[in-house]
Amino acid sequence: MEERVLVTKRDMAERAELLRSRGLAEPGGEDLVLGFFSDGKLVATGALVGNILQGIAVDREIEGEGAAAAVTSSLVKRAVERGMRRIFIYSKPQEAGRFQELGFTLLASASVESSGFAASLLEWGSEGISAWKRDAAVIAEDKPSMAGSVVVNCNPFTLGHRRLIEYASGACRWLYVLVVQEDRSLFPFDVRFRLVSEGTADLSNVTVVPGGPYVISSATFPTYFTRIRAGGDTEKITGLYAALDLEMFRKHVAPTLRIGSRFVGTEPFCPVTSVYNEMMKRILPAPGEDRHAVSVVEMPRFREEGVPVSASRVRDLIRERKMKDVEKLVPEVTWKWLNSEDAVPVLEKIRKSNSRH
Amino acid sequence: MKAVKNSAAGTLESSDVLVSVIPAGGSAVSLSVDSIVMKQYGRRIRSVAEEMIGTSGLSGASVMIQDRGALECTLRARLETAIERSAAEK
Repeated sequence: MEERVLVTKRDMAERAELLRSRGLAEPGGEDLVLGFFSDGKLVATGALVGNILQGIAVDREIEGEGAAAAVTSSLVKRAVERGMRRIFIYSKPQEAGRFQELGFTLLASASVESSGFAASLLEWGSEGISAWKRDAAVIAEDKPSMAGSVVVNCNPFTLGHRRLIEYASGACRWLYVLVVQEDRSLFPFDVRFRLVSEGTADLSNVTVVPGGPYVISSATFPTYFTRIRAGGDTEKITGLYAALDLEMFRKHVAPTLRIGSRFVGTEPFCPVTSVYNEMMKRILPAPGEDRHAVSVVEMPRFREEGVPVSASRVRDLIRERKMKDVEKLVPEVTWKWLNSEDAVPVLEKIRKSNSRH
Repeated sequence: MKAVKNSAAGTLESSDVLVSVIPAGGSAVSLSVDSIVMKQYGRRIRSVAEEMIGTSGLSGASVMIQDRGALECTLRARLETAIERSAAEK
């Protein structure tokens, strides 16, 4: 088999056809698409989307001859050479076993009844999730069980976040605030993390934890970080990713931190988060064998002058240069930071961008 | 010989092994081994890898081995290549 990177329109059309013949959709956002040819015919393909291997397909005629292993190896090698340390793969649940044989570890599987979509998320090697669990177990060691949790991006930290955390901390013995770590938001992770930590320091039963790669990351929930295109299957795909992220939470995060409940604010604006919240209420509390059930508490979004407070509204106000209005919606730590030297380039970026996050 | 860049050698195909070397802080070398024949050969794979890492003088790296039932000569060849690529100047 001859291997090369696919670039031309003709190559890509042939690849789309191969994917279709195996019941796969084009992932979109590919950084690299590989093709394997036999007698000039495309017989296998696979793509790299960030640090995720996607769209791996092998022509029926050469199935079982190790082509999938060849595609996977080549993609992993290229990802490693591009400096990636964590590599993930999405596959159909019934094919997850094949990738486990190739040295991947199964993280979670999810299926969404309404769309018929299903997928498994696997991780390259066996170190990642177990190392994360070891570290998390150390954090949880001296904390009570049946803890509460909130997952926040805090882009930036607003009074809405503060109210939700305050409420949750009053409703449980211990509260973990997991901050989305992926650095793809307008406010950098270290700033978001610091503002939440400082802004909740007065609450004695709260631990702020970096979300790491397993809590709403580009691996568990890629569409959270991109703008949703209208039409097509994007909403169904978002539902599937949301389900996978929540399965990860229930299977790995919640048992390790001994979390019994998750608090969430109602979502009035963002369609992705709103799909996610609906999915959360279905997936986390579902009972079942060897299933760690997590109850979900949804709380109405904090309002200021009748309008729900959200980070996206704060960013809009920054964009419109209505800083007086911003002041009413954020805690003092955030306001102080927004007026510091460090904030200048971030505010500049917000005013130029139109990013969802 | 300090690891300066990510490198990989080999494949995940049957009877081969994929060796990745990733630079890490400090001078220690960490080693992780996955194999489809872990029970029978896991210790042997580890000792071959430790020996070759020792001889090469590699430092400051994390070495990952994903074995699909490679012969020892294959394992040695893949290790040598991955280590050399990782320490290469260019």
